[in-house]
Amino acid sequence: MEPIVSHENWRNCFSEVAPGLLLFARQWVQSAADAEDIVQDAFVKFWRRNHDIANRGLLYSAVRSLALDFIRRDARRARREATVLAEAEPAIEPHFELEDDTQSALAAAMESLPRDQREVLVLKIWNDLTFSEIAGALGISQNTAASRYRYALINLKKTLQPQ
Amino acid sequence: MNDFSELEKELRKLRPTQPSPMLFERVEEALKNCRASVSDAKWKRWRFAETPYNWWSLGFGLAAAAILILFAAVTMERRHDQQQTVAQSSPAPETRPAPLGTERSIPASRFIPAGGTNVVYNARDEGLHFADGSERPVRRVRYRTQQTWRWRNPETGASLRVSYPSEEVVLIPVSGQ
Repeated sequence: MEPIVSHENWRNCFSEVAPGLLLFARQWVQSAADAEDIVQDAFVKFWRRNHDIANRGLLYSAVRSLALDFIRRDARRARREATVLAEAEPAIEPHFELEDDTQSALAAAMESLPRDQREVLVLKIWNDLTFSEIAGALGISQNTAASRYRYALINLKKTLQPQ
Repeated sequence: MNDFSELEKELRKLRPTQPSPMLFERVEEALKNCRASVSDAKWKRWRFAETPYNWWSLGFGLAAAAILILFAAVTMERRHDQQQTVAQSSPAPETRPAPLGTERSIPASRFIPAGGTNVVYNARDEGLHFADGSERPVRRVRYRTQQTWRWRNPETGASLRVSYPSEEVVLIPVSGQ
């Protein structure tokens, strides 16, 4: 059966998942434009293959895989970006729409987490994936996903505690 | 997790930045473009991607081996002819030379396979991918190997060894949970 393209519901589906997907992609690539390219490729592949959105772990797995490919392909550029980013304020292309200082502090604390914890946190909080789905998307066990999530929250709490 | 419920609530209040409107247009365009995507070409691409080995590297390796064998055979044949010429121009030998037919019956180029090794010196798991046209994700593992093939001529004791690097990409289907 020729899928999808004729379906008009892709827009609803994409509107729902795109912000979370972009945030997930930006755990690897700093540029919002590059993250959009990755999300576009992953979503188009996912939708074209007529996957059930309930099987969305595959979508996140595809985003991750494309992001890693992007990094490998464009290692020089990634290094340059990393250098620039190390020197620049992270607020150049913020990951969140911040409303107050509390949120800024929370976002900064989140971005200071190790990447493996951050990606689980992003999938759990802003993409509403279950630990089972996270495990599938990241190629780790469910227990590892749950413990990374817990460590992320512990670290966040530590960072945000008043000195 | 109850200790963290307040923190989780605060985190959920953070709203990720929204995608640009251009992204929706680009996705729409891409979905339109892939309307005719299930075609013979795609099928061919899938068949190629499905094959577990990188046939290009294998092809190049075998071609290189064939050329080397041919080169070795020609070189040894020439050397053999030169030896014959020298023998004819030298004074008469004390021993009776073997008839030409006998010499020809032991071709110097008669090499028989003596063994081969395939040493994997690097294996890299490149994560999950969708091969073109595939319904299911596959895990892509890239192996870098050094292949060595040996031939031996039992008559002369000469041996020939061809060694070349090779890269193999193995796609392992992943079953869904």
